[in-house]
Amino acid sequence: MKKQLLDQIIKKKENKNEFAIITNIANGESCIFEKNKPLDKNFEKYLDQINNFFNKKKNGIIENTDIFVETYVRPIKVIIVGAVHIAQYLVDYAKSLNFEISIIDPRGYFASEQRFPNVKIINKWPDEAFKEIETNENSALIALTHDPKIDDPALQHALKKKFYYIGALGSKKTHENRCKRLKETGFSEKEINLIDGPIGIKLGGKSAPEIALSIIAQLVSKTHNKK
Amino acid sequence: MKNSFDEKILEEANDWIKANQKVVLATVIQTWGSSPRPTGSRMIVNEKGDFSGSVSGGCVETAVVRECIGIIKNKKSFKKIEFKVSNESAWEVGLACGGEIAVYLEHIN
Repeated sequence: MKKQLLDQIIKKKENKNEFAIITNIANGESCIFEKNKPLDKNFEKYLDQINNFFNKKKNGIIENTDIFVETYVRPIKVIIVGAVHIAQYLVDYAKSLNFEISIIDPRGYFASEQRFPNVKIINKWPDEAFKEIETNENSALIALTHDPKIDDPALQHALKKKFYYIGALGSKKTHENRCKRLKETGFSEKEINLIDGPIGIKLGGKSAPEIALSIIAQLVSKTHNKK
Repeated sequence: MKNSFDEKILEEANDWIKANQKVVLATVIQTWGSSPRPTGSRMIVNEKGDFSGSVSGGCVETAVVRECIGIIKNKKSFKKIEFKVSNESAWEVGLACGGEIAVYLEHIN
């Protein structure tokens, strides 16, 4: 592989582009494939098969050829509401996973860059903050403030946009009250049941890093279950 | 949904090159049976034999490091190697789990 190609790949990863690296393992040539963009002419005749791998987000050798395809998918957007202690550990865990984290917290002391270096922090109320993040059914929400004023609007946004994972921190009692409020706002029981509350898988721990671990484990599990 | 771990091996390769190290990239390109790591898993090796990442669960990394050093010494640009079901004589480089993998090595230059 040429160093120049490596530089391009890293840049595409930084820009969160979706692409594939195509390598001819018989002669060592390689190039980048991007959907609907011209492909290196040495690889043109494999375009249909490469598209097929890319659409299925599959890695491997195209049958009966020497062409290896490795696809790179955009990281999943995870929005954390509440720049709290648990969020700091979530950011740590997410570093080695393909998640792109944004944190929303209208409280200035919480949403500081010193507490969250190199993370996108939006110091606004959720309704305003979500205008700055493009979300869809491949996004995830982790609500951590257990303050209805902050969590509720975010949960409503996530339910409307059909996020594949919606988790909300709080005791059973807190969650019951939350569900009642959402029902009053017009959400159906079926929709409300999509929220994982109390958030996280049962590990038994009560410390911030342990709760963060239980949340990230639930998020990873939900990610793999989603087809 | 595909959301594989991003082990940032390519970024690390770039850092090594910036530090004037020679780097060979090893990628799992095919697997058969119960191989420990999926297609696309990567590791990098420098001229001293330092390595990062993995192509198996520790079963064949030693052999991959040796091959990579060979590529740098012989000024080759790429090579494909295969590791098959382990047997007693090949315990050091075999896959204990009984799988088979093909690994593609390429010098980044």
